Amino acid sequence: MAIQDSLGGAAVAAPARSGARRAGRLLLGLPPVVAVSVAWLALALVVAAGADLLAPYAYSALDLKARLSPPVFMGGGWAHPLGTDELGRDVLSRLIVSVRMSLLIALFGTMIAAGLGTVLGFLAAHFRGRVEALILVLIDFQAGMPFMIIALSVLAFFGNNLVLFIVLMGFHAWERYARIARGLTLAANEQGYAAAVRQLGATPLSVYGRHVLPNIASTLIVSMTLSFPEIVLLESGLSFLGLGVQPPLTSLGNMVGYGREYISRAPWIMLAPSVVIVMTTFSISMLGDWLRDRLDPTLK
Amino acid sequence: MLSFIVSRAARAAITILLVVAFAFVVMRLSGDPALLILSVDAPPEAIEAFRKAWGLDRPIWEQFLTFATRALAGDFGRSMRDGRPALALVLERVPATLAITLPALALKLALGIPAGIFAALNRNSWADRAAMMASVAGFTMPSFVLALLLVLVFAVQLGWLPASGSDTPLHAVLPILTLGTAGAAIMARFTRSAMLEVLGQPYIRAASAKGLGWWLVVLRHALPNAAIPTVTIIGFMVGSLVAGAVIVESVFAWPGIGRLLVSSVANRDLAVVQSLLMVIAGWMVLANLAVDLAYGWLDPRVRTITSRAD
Repeated sequence: MAIQDSLGGAAVAAPARSGARRAGRLLLGLPPVVAVSVAWLALALVVAAGADLLAPYAYSALDLKARLSPPVFMGGGWAHPLGTDELGRDVLSRLIVSVRMSLLIALFGTMIAAGLGTVLGFLAAHFRGRVEALILVLIDFQAGMPFMIIALSVLAFFGNNLVLFIVLMGFHAWERYARIARGLTLAANEQGYAAAVRQLGATPLSVYGRHVLPNIASTLIVSMTLSFPEIVLLESGLSFLGLGVQPPLTSLGNMVGYGREYISRAPWIMLAPSVVIVMTTFSISMLGDWLRDRLDPTLK
Repeated sequence: MLSFIVSRAARAAITILLVVAFAFVVMRLSGDPALLILSVDAPPEAIEAFRKAWGLDRPIWEQFLTFATRALAGDFGRSMRDGRPALALVLERVPATLAITLPALALKLALGIPAGIFAALNRNSWADRAAMMASVAGFTMPSFVLALLLVLVFAVQLGWLPASGSDTPLHAVLPILTLGTAGAAIMARFTRSAMLEVLGQPYIRAASAKGLGWWLVVLRHALPNAAIPTVTIIGFMVGSLVAGAVIVESVFAWPGIGRLLVSSVANRDLAVVQSLLMVIAGWMVLANLAVDLAYGWLDPRVRTITSRAD
């Protein structure tokens, strides 16, 4: 419990003392695994936000005299706590910058997909008929192909830049939001409240945006917590294959990708980002599960 | 039932057609393969001849029509790299991929289903929590991380198994373990939630109330009903037998479909990538169709509900 408390307190870092205490109490009220997950995610967010301040070195700075030096716990020095890579770049600094890159991509990707999918789902439920049929066909197409395969072909053939890559990640799992939004909207349209506000003269925009959306938001949010770690995994997988984030930029998967060549001589290069990826996706999934248990009344 | 089958088959066919169109458009819009295969400073006549030979000089819709009609006849063109028929090149890689994905599928089912049932029957016990934590850890771990950890332990540290290649059956062990572990985690989760859903139903309470032993209730009433949603995830796993090992094959240098995809995408070998997309999509769509039909067969409610809603 003491560990959780200090983790939670450090991670939340609220300005006011009472706020910190309240946040600490809130964290302690959670199941231990969820509390640790929240603390880890908060830490990751702080690291991502303050990457430039926190990184001890520039992420691309070379230190040729200290190539492949091991981390502290493997006999290395404190100059490079997590060791260095084959060019003498500081693994900790690269890790911090990579966390920011991977989280940003996943965050934008999730938001694009959720926005796109929800709008398409609303459109399908609103217009029915041909629009709905077309959107259903697109959903089938998207669901029918492994997204990895689609992403791979698009990336390699359009070349690679960060904006294109993020937009591409934004196509991951949009069909899930579209299905949810369509299904729940059809159900909502049969219920009294949607019909009532429509009778009161609300425009479709306000019916969907102000009345239907808040009612289906919890399901969409749970879906986002499922797809966020998937995008982290997808991004790191593609970067690992050398087809995602390109050097000199760095991401977690990218680090694992080149660390793989030094797996016997310098395993810390790939282990550090691997641990961060697993911790992050694990934490989001635990949080998502907990949220679903809280938000989904049918499970009670 | 017949109209159900027809509507599902029609949707499958449309999906295939969309995949063809997608593959074609993305690849033709993305760059000039002539300049990639030949170098930029190749003589213009050579580039012209190359374009003519591959039909790249004609309007794009005409190229697509040619491609689509040929594809329907089973001709996907030839690899631009070594001139062999693209489809043959793809199909000869399928056995290698199946050699690791089929045992992995067996591993997923053999580990995942019992674990999921056990967790559901002991809901909220420490065993359930531990199993679900392990399951989340299993599917949040990227396959390349798991693969590299296994290499680190079994190949680098212990030296028991080869790290990469495909010369002996021993080479298949680590890829199979990597694929199987992650899949078993997903399987366990789905089985657990399907079981929990069923166990909460009134008919289970009714069966218990009329005095059936708990194990009879589980075996006769819970398991068959929980099997229905589980079919979806098994179908998905069968669908990914062909293309589900892209990263794992790359890590272990396994000569299957996935590695062919990565290398031909890197080489921009259009014909091979198109054939790959078609084979993968065709397999996925067939698997989905099979799931839909199995669903309709297992659960009579689906036939009428889906034909009304969709």
